[in-house]
Amino acid sequence: MTKDGVVLAVEKRVTSPLLEPSSVEKIMEIDEHVGCAMSGLIADARTLVEHARVETQNHRFSYGEPMTVESTTQAICDLALRFGEGDEESMSRPFGVSLLIAGHDENGPSLYYTDPSGTFWQCNAKAIGSGSEGADSSLQDQYNKELTIAEAETIALSILKQVMEEKVTPNNVDIAKVSPSYHLYTPAEVEAVIARL
Amino acid sequence: SAQNGLRSLRPPRSRRPRRNLIKEGRKRDTGHRTAPLRLLLQATNSGDSTTSPPSSPPSPTTAMSRRGDWVYENNGGTCVAIAGADYCVVAADTRLSVGYNILTREHSKICELADKCVIASSGFQGDIKALQKNLAARELLYQHQHNKRMSCPAMAQLLSNTLYYKRFFPYYAFNVLGGLDSEGKGCVYSYDAVGSYERTGYSAQGSGSTLIMPVLDNQLKSPSPLLVPARDAVTPLSESEAVDLVKDVFASATERDIYTVCFPLSVPRDHRLLLFIHLPLY
Repeated sequence: MTKDGVVLAVEKRVTSPLLEPSSVEKIMEIDEHVGCAMSGLIADARTLVEHARVETQNHRFSYGEPMTVESTTQAICDLALRFGEGDEESMSRPFGVSLLIAGHDENGPSLYYTDPSGTFWQCNAKAIGSGSEGADSSLQDQYNKELTIAEAETIALSILKQVMEEKVTPNNVDIAKVSPSYHLYTPAEVEAVIARL
Repeated sequence: SAQNGLRSLRPPRSRRPRRNLIKEGRKRDTGHRTAPLRLLLQATNSGDSTTSPPSSPPSPTTAMSRRGDWVYENNGGTCVAIAGADYCVVAADTRLSVGYNILTREHSKICELADKCVIASSGFQGDIKALQKNLAARELLYQHQHNKRMSCPAMAQLLSNTLYYKRFFPYYAFNVLGGLDSEGKGCVYSYDAVGSYERTGYSAQGSGSTLIMPVLDNQLKSPSPLLVPARDAVTPLSESEAVDLVKDVFASATERDIYTVCFPLSVPRDHRLLLFIHLPLY
C-alpha cells in the first residue's frame, strides 16, 4: 500500500504450456474502487467475490455512495464465518481461501487480509500463499510508507521473482492497482514493470 | 297497523331483483385495493387537502370503495428548506389539524436523523411518524455497520428507496430533506409521495407550498438543473438572511393558508451542532 494507492501482484502458477494463461484469474474486481487477490481454493474465492460484488452494489443502490473497503471486507468475512448464505446454500465446511482486499475510499487507500476463519486484519503490506513466509520477511525489509506506485510495483514483482520457481513473464504474473480506481494491468504494462526489475 | 302499511309499499320479495353477492364481492375487492393509491394521487394532483373521497359519477367500483376505505388524513402544515454555501435552514410550522379543527399548536414536523441531516415532512402524521422512525432506525444500523454516521446524500437515496418500497400503498408524506453534504455545502432534497427526488437549492412542501415556492423562486433565483456544466444551486445569502427569508415566507403563507401557522417553532440549522430556535407561538 502506498499514499496514492495499493498494488496487488499474483503468481499465476501456469502448470502446463497448454494452459491458457488469461483464463487463470486470481485478481478480481469487486467494485470500481475495490479489488481482491486470492490464494487457496479458487472456486471458493469466486463465491466470496460474487457475494462482495452484490453487497457493494446493494450499498450503492440503497445509499447512493460507494461502500467503504472495511465494510466490504466485513461483508466477505460475514459470509466466510457462516460458511455461506442462509440455510440451504450454506456449506458444511469453511471457505478454503485467503484474500487480499485492496481498495480506495474516503479514508484513503487500504489493504485488508482475510483468512478462512472470517477474521480480517488491515495491513500496509502482506504476502499470502505458498511462498508467503519468505515473501513477508522480504516485504518487512523493503516496505516503507513513502513508496510511490512505480516503486511498489517493482518491489512486489521482485519479491514474486524470489519465491517463484519459473522466470517472471507477462503470462505467469498478474498485477493490478487501485489508485483510486481498480485497474488490471495488460500484458504490455506487466512487461514494462518486468523490464524495470 | 303502521308496520303493515309500510310493508305494503315494498314489492313482494319474489319480485325484487336478486342481488348477485359474489359479483358484488369481487367488485368491492377491486375498489378496496386501488382506492388508497387512486385517491392519494388525486389529492396530490389537486394540491389541496381532501379529507374525504372525492365525489364521482356512480359506478359499481367507486360506490363500493366508499365503504370507509379511505385510510389517509391530511394533518396539514408546511415545510421549507434553503441550502447555503456552508449551512442549511430547515423549517416547519407546528400546527397539527384535521379538517377545520386544530389538534395541537405545538407539534414538530422535523426529525434530526444524523448530525448533518434533518428531515421535515408534512401530510398524514401517522405515516410521517412511521417513516421518520424507520429512517432513524436505519441510520442507527448504518452507524453500527459502517462506523460512521449517514451522510445527507446517502439518507436522500435511502428515503427515496423507502418511499418507493411502498409504491402501491404509499406513505402520505411530503418530505424535504436538508443538511450538509460531504464537502460541507448545504443540500436540500425534495420528494414526492412515492420517492421521486431531486437535489435543489431550496424547497417547500405541504399545504402552503404553492404559496411559498413562487416567493422563494423570486428571491433565490436558482439556476436551471438542465444547464451544462451544472451550476451550484446553493444560495449566496448569509445564514441570518436565509433565516429571515424563511420567517417572512411563513408569515406570507399564514395569511392565506389555514393549515399553516406563523412563526415556525423549530428552525434547525448548522454545520457544527444543531440548534432549535424557539419563537413565541402565534
